[in-house]
Amino acid sequence: MSKGFRPDLSYLLRKLHSLSGIVPVGAFLAEHFWSNSSALVSADRYNAVSHELQTIPFRPFVEAFAIWLPILYHGCYGVYIWLRGKSNVSDYPWVGNWLYTLQRFTGLIAFAYIGWHVYSERFLTQGKSNYEGVAHTLQNPYALAFMAVGIVASSFHLGIGIWNFLCKWGLAATVPAQRAAGRLGLLVGVSFSVVGILILASFRLNWHPFEFYIK
Amino acid sequence: MSDKKSDKKKVILRIKRQAGPSDSAHWEEFSLDWRPSMNVIIALRDIAENPVTRDGKKTTPLSYDSNCLEEICGSCAMLINGKARMACSALIDDLEQPIRIEPLSKFPVVRDLAVDRQFMFESLKRVKAWIPIDGTYDLGEGPRVSPEIQEKGYPLSNCITCGSCLEVCPQVNEHSKFVGAAIISQVRLFNMHPTGAMHANERLEALMGPGGIADCANAQNCVEACPKGIPLTESIAQVNREAWKHALLGWLWG
Amino acid sequence: MRQPKIIIVGGGLAGLMASIRVAEAGVPVDLFSIVPVKRSHSVCAQGGINAAKNQKGEGDTTDKHFDDSIYGGDFLANQPLVKRMCEAAPGIIDLLDRMGVMFNRTPEGLLDYRRFGGTLYHRTAFAGATTGQQLLYALDEQVRRHESEGRVRKYEGWTFLSAVLDDSGVCRGICAMDLRSMEVRTFAADAVIFCTGGNGAIFGRSTNSVVCTGSAQSALFQQGVDYANGEFIQVHPTAIPGEDKLRLMSESARGEGGRVWVPKKPGDTRAAKSIPESERFYFLEQWYPKYGNLVPRDIATRAIHKIVFQEKLGLAGQQAVYLDLTHIPRETLDRKLEGILEIYEKFIGVDPRVEPMKVFPGMHYTMGGIWVDNENQATSVPGIYAAGECEYQYHGANRLGANSLVSCIFGGGIAGPAAVKYAKNLEKGSESTDASVFEREKKRQQAMNDALIKQDGSENPVTIWRELGDLMTEHVTVTRYNKNLEIADRKIQDLIARFKKVNLSDRTQWSNQTLNFTRELGNMLVLARVITLGALARNESRGAHYKPDFPERDDANWLKTTRAKWVNNDIQLTYEPVDTSLIKPRPRRYDAAS
Repeated sequence: MSKGFRPDLSYLLRKLHSLSGIVPVGAFLAEHFWSNSSALVSADRYNAVSHELQTIPFRPFVEAFAIWLPILYHGCYGVYIWLRGKSNVSDYPWVGNWLYTLQRFTGLIAFAYIGWHVYSERFLTQGKSNYEGVAHTLQNPYALAFMAVGIVASSFHLGIGIWNFLCKWGLAATVPAQRAAGRLGLLVGVSFSVVGILILASFRLNWHPFEFYIK
Repeated sequence: MSDKKSDKKKVILRIKRQAGPSDSAHWEEFSLDWRPSMNVIIALRDIAENPVTRDGKKTTPLSYDSNCLEEICGSCAMLINGKARMACSALIDDLEQPIRIEPLSKFPVVRDLAVDRQFMFESLKRVKAWIPIDGTYDLGEGPRVSPEIQEKGYPLSNCITCGSCLEVCPQVNEHSKFVGAAIISQVRLFNMHPTGAMHANERLEALMGPGGIADCANAQNCVEACPKGIPLTESIAQVNREAWKHALLGWLWG
Repeated sequence: MRQPKIIIVGGGLAGLMASIRVAEAGVPVDLFSIVPVKRSHSVCAQGGINAAKNQKGEGDTTDKHFDDSIYGGDFLANQPLVKRMCEAAPGIIDLLDRMGVMFNRTPEGLLDYRRFGGTLYHRTAFAGATTGQQLLYALDEQVRRHESEGRVRKYEGWTFLSAVLDDSGVCRGICAMDLRSMEVRTFAADAVIFCTGGNGAIFGRSTNSVVCTGSAQSALFQQGVDYANGEFIQVHPTAIPGEDKLRLMSESARGEGGRVWVPKKPGDTRAAKSIPESERFYFLEQWYPKYGNLVPRDIATRAIHKIVFQEKLGLAGQQAVYLDLTHIPRETLDRKLEGILEIYEKFIGVDPRVEPMKVFPGMHYTMGGIWVDNENQATSVPGIYAAGECEYQYHGANRLGANSLVSCIFGGGIAGPAAVKYAKNLEKGSESTDASVFEREKKRQQAMNDALIKQDGSENPVTIWRELGDLMTEHVTVTRYNKNLEIADRKIQDLIARFKKVNLSDRTQWSNQTLNFTRELGNMLVLARVITLGALARNESRGAHYKPDFPERDDANWLKTTRAKWVNNDIQLTYEPVDTSLIKPRPRRYDAAS
């Protein structure tokens, strides 16, 4: 009966897509915000943290298997899922349906943004991006706007993704638990957006509100 | 008795018509005499008795599915003012006019408002939505079932296979074979029953194929649209958990 | 050995049970149904299913169930098979329980039972207030399993037109029509079981579903299948009036403590809740102290008619009385009656947990039906069997609440194996029947369709149907006068004449619902006459059949079954004795104190 049962490939790919959005992609996003928020302390602190990350052992492998490939898979398979769905939020404007549609657009924006972001901050800098470089980029208002949009889209994509993940893996199965999961997702979306925007402000305005730690 | 003025009150309907599965659709408008407590079925019957459009053109009565007229047989689901609903419980006085009536869009149209929902019944076969009893001869009482399980199972067992949950689901469309919330919820029901649970894995496995549970994208429209108020999103979540646990643990430990 | 084949027409409880039994015997089944079987009318049954399991320690026995059923049916039912049914009922509950029906449970995990009309015991197992739906689904699931394993083949969306009878009058199959392609086709079978339900549509508005037209029964009748006790029609005391349908408000509402009342003051227009206890007339409790609100349906219905039409105490002068649940805790109501309360709330827009419901009697059940023998569910034509509401066997002159589900399952359970046995014992099966027999029937049916499609008449079938319904409801339901019955029969004959000039507003050959409805209507008109003539002839009052001019039951002259026959294209009433070998008929007095 169930001995040696293997789910269909489509099932595994779909589950992998859902999981990859949380781990490693979502986890990396959290780590990325965390390390970048060192800019809020000082440029030197930011450069020190960046340097540490840029000098981890097996860096290309870690980047490839924990970051680039999962993001690439999550993004591409996500587009495939999008194409197989058919949004009907104009007919049925319920909250869940809005989130469904929003999840697709934030995902697309985030994916495009991440592509540009990786290209400009990882490859153009040959993996040695630093405070001054980022601050310079952000003097360009278009870059600033794109980054702000990208940060907010990524944050909410993760927030909604957490809600989806908790529901779709049956971790939050009851209606009250799913409501709580929704609030958790909202909290992640909002707090990540705020932190992200503060980091942008830090670079753009050379503003370091936590500099007093080291003074 | 109603006064002269209310006698003249009219109900205007715009109905999407289609002569057969491969014919193109067109709209017809009807003007009917209003009466108290009218519902969409009563309006369709009025048209059957006098099949004349608003502009006086003779036409044919509408083809549509209906049976119990009290929202328990699941026949008369259609799109009323753009929303999937049961026509029998759609009261005219609650609807904005002109009332737009269309067939469900996610199922093949047979004619006019009648659609073919065989897909749902085939899906029930696919997930083995039954308790496999040994036979109908006397084998004594059934298993004890706690009131708690009964109170969870009974609402799930109220599903009338109307197709509203499929109709509103963005994941159900011409590109996908997604079985939809109703079927997943039935799997939960049968896996919850003491005898049904003995075969829970077969049903879970049936849902881990193409068009299975992983196609759900959590838009949660199903639970909003269900005319029977079935906790479909809870069902999907529960079955999802059972499914990946079975897949993972089965692979790890057999 | 020859493999027999069985056709079952109708996919409600009886048809599904018969299908399961036949499939279990290893014989292939072709199952025909107008609607997908899961949408059959059985889903509308609400309150529960009777079985004397004595699970409340009240000393209930199957004998008491038997006695209640015979007494409730006013001694018109043949007793031996009713006794067998009551004895089988506990086993039927066990079977349904094993099939996974979500019956309500006691804290110990056993089935819960509630009270119903016409008994003093908690004898009714229930699944909320949608028991019929739950039972039908359980059987539907079992049939689906047999279907997926190749033993049952469904023809859903097909309607039965006629039986195929060979030259010796033996049934060799059926002629049916695909409701999409309108194709007329014959199907061979060694035996055919009919489970085609009741005939509410003849009364226009009833608690029945749209498909309950009695068309198949009437078609069979016109082919020589006898029809019994047609005049016995149950009018349910508590339905919600509606233009399209009278929506049932289950007896379980009273079984759970619901009370029927009207204000004592005629035409009182005060809100129900503001009327003090002392100014309310709980007429059922007062007139029938022992059974109170749970008197049998015919009694309660007549009492409500008396209150409204004679005492003029209908609510605000209208045709309605209160069915009051507002004294019962909301939690209990939601657990045991939610399904029906939702119906009221949805269609009337008032919460019955807060406001008493306004109800009025409505045509509900067909006690009479295809004549069957009291052994095998076999009809008067060899090879044709009948089970469920479409036959007459179990309920006499009045059916007790929650006995219909058990009779459907029991009857279906007998008809299946009986048909298999008959088919296996046939010397020559339908495969040796000459093809011309099938061709002949097909041509006859096709010709009827062609004539209807082509003819240029002046009559609209829906209009004729509405008039028929009004006529039958007015003259042939609760209170019957011979004068009115004669008028009714004359008017039905007028309608039959007008029917010959019917004009189909739809002449297409694809999913033509008008054509199908018109064919059903033709059959309804004939059956309406069977009902009316049976009522006209029976000069007594028994169960649901009530004639003020003959107010007493008359066992000397009328303790007999009406058996209508189709002779020379006309209805002929004959009579046969009732088997009362087990319980001696006694006066039926629910108002008595003991």
